[in-house]
Amino acid sequence: MAIETLGYRGWSGALRWPWLACWPIVRTGLWLVLRRKVFWLLLALGLFNFLLHFAIIYTKATISVENPRAGRFLDNFRVTGTGEAYLDFMFAQGTVTMLLLAFAGSILVGGDYQQGGLVFYLSRRIDRRHYVLGKLLAIAAIVLMITTAPALALFLEYGMLSSSLDYFLENPRILLGIVGYGLLMAAVLSLLLGAIASWVHRAVPLVMIWAGIFVLLPVLGENLRHVRDNRLWRLLSLWRDLRMLGKSFFGSLRVERDEPELAYWAAWIVPAVCLVCLLLLVRRVRAVEVVK
Amino acid sequence: MQAQPIVEAELIGHANSVPASGPPPLVEFRGVSKWYGPVIGVNEVDLELGSGITGLLGANGAGKTTLIKLLAGQLRPCLGEVVVCGKRAWSASAKSHVGYCPDADVFYEEMSGRRFVLTMARLHGFSGRDARDRTERALAEVGMSDRADRRLRGYSKGMRQRIKLAQALVHEPDILVVDEPLNGIDPVGRRELMDLFRGLAERGKSLLVSSHILDEMDTLADRVVFMGRGRVLACGTLREIRDMLDNHPLHLRITSDRARDLAARLVQWDLVRGVELRQTGDLAVQIHRPNEFFRRFGDLVLDEGLEIERLQTTDASAGAIFDYVTQEARKI
Repeated sequence: MAIETLGYRGWSGALRWPWLACWPIVRTGLWLVLRRKVFWLLLALGLFNFLLHFAIIYTKATISVENPRAGRFLDNFRVTGTGEAYLDFMFAQGTVTMLLLAFAGSILVGGDYQQGGLVFYLSRRIDRRHYVLGKLLAIAAIVLMITTAPALALFLEYGMLSSSLDYFLENPRILLGIVGYGLLMAAVLSLLLGAIASWVHRAVPLVMIWAGIFVLLPVLGENLRHVRDNRLWRLLSLWRDLRMLGKSFFGSLRVERDEPELAYWAAWIVPAVCLVCLLLLVRRVRAVEVVK
Repeated sequence: MQAQPIVEAELIGHANSVPASGPPPLVEFRGVSKWYGPVIGVNEVDLELGSGITGLLGANGAGKTTLIKLLAGQLRPCLGEVVVCGKRAWSASAKSHVGYCPDADVFYEEMSGRRFVLTMARLHGFSGRDARDRTERALAEVGMSDRADRRLRGYSKGMRQRIKLAQALVHEPDILVVDEPLNGIDPVGRRELMDLFRGLAERGKSLLVSSHILDEMDTLADRVVFMGRGRVLACGTLREIRDMLDNHPLHLRITSDRARDLAARLVQWDLVRGVELRQTGDLAVQIHRPNEFFRRFGDLVLDEGLEIERLQTTDASAGAIFDYVTQEARKI
């Protein structure tokens, strides 16, 4: 029955598309994270690495102008300008990202379950899909802020300080690599953190699980690789798996001897991890219905 | 699940009936059941809510919060449907008509009250300026405009409740659903909140207020819904429900200058089930069919020239009626 026939007044507000509600969720999430001093400390740590690369690029550009031969000599090192350099930079930023996310998880996601904030979200004109996407985007935004945005800034700086702007035209694959690798990390890490934080709400257990995945498992993988003499154990390092997949976005980069085989398995492992995380997340969000 | 034949069906049927000429209900529960695994939250609930303040009363675990979450679109029923202004309760369009104030009073503690309400307005789909305007209006409505910049962490229980109300009102809903608003609030805060609820009801809002504090509902609610073990035990005005409890005669306390004479007269009436003359000089009277009794009692007082200092019902409060209703439900 139409509401008008029941005699109620119509809704007069101009409401936006429900999917746009993800944006306030992202903003709120970032606001909550950036209010903590520890996050600024970790961001500064990430910024330190960025400034180092920034200075190297600037120095290289200055030396190249002063002495072109020295500039060509510096091109032999992959600290700047090349696909490998950006890949390494983003990989190195991952350490800070890991630390930041470990602490952010309980604030961004865990708190909603622990403190009952989810009911406030779901009482609006959005449903669980919008909520989940908003939270995942908030985590992804942090990942992109630490890894992709600085890498893009370095790419821009390198191009601007080159002798001509041809650098941008000649290296579109680097741009694609930065964006692709960044988005891959953002997608996987947001799903992983979202799933874990929705089940483990408190910061300390969350950090321990996070450390287990990104510190303990790689160490375990390396040890098992030596003990079992099977390099596939290296795949226990999810961060390395992401790097191998991310490498494909950059095009023809130098690969290690056993990397193609590992990359093949990583291409199965990473989507499988994402799928499991998604299932856990959906299950947890539905489980909000259960009254204890 | 098979519904049990219930005595209280009379109560429910009577209280729920909506006159054909009256306005259609804002909210309808049609045969709603909700299970949590093997545990049943609400059981075959048929209920209609109109304008004014409806008190939702019941002990802990009676199914109040489940009923409220079903209405607020937070849960979907396993059976039946919940209709809000003609829309299914969990649809986005129905949520536009409902403002939900949950019992959870913790949220992002670092946020200011104003920012919290603004965020909720934006989540609802309002654009920047519109969201800000509505936030200010909602804060003014709950009397928090001047204190809204403080962090939620520093708020008292009453102030938190007001902020929660503000976020529920920010989209100007027709129906306001408030879960346990009086829990942990001091008497002054309770009175302020109740005044606020009355003010909202006077402005045409429909309020469903859940509570297990029964005393306040006597004065606050226009009608009540009693819940127990997941079922609606009775619903209607307190007087309607009390009148239907034939097994429980109404208890009166009468203070008169001629108490003994009055007792002698009353004991002869078939409406009166018992009269006790107390040491204080008061009469404790148990009666049936209160309407008829009060009419006859008025005539008696005028005819005999009695001076009545006090005429008070002692078991017509929400608490007393709830006890009776619960006793009846246990007999099933």
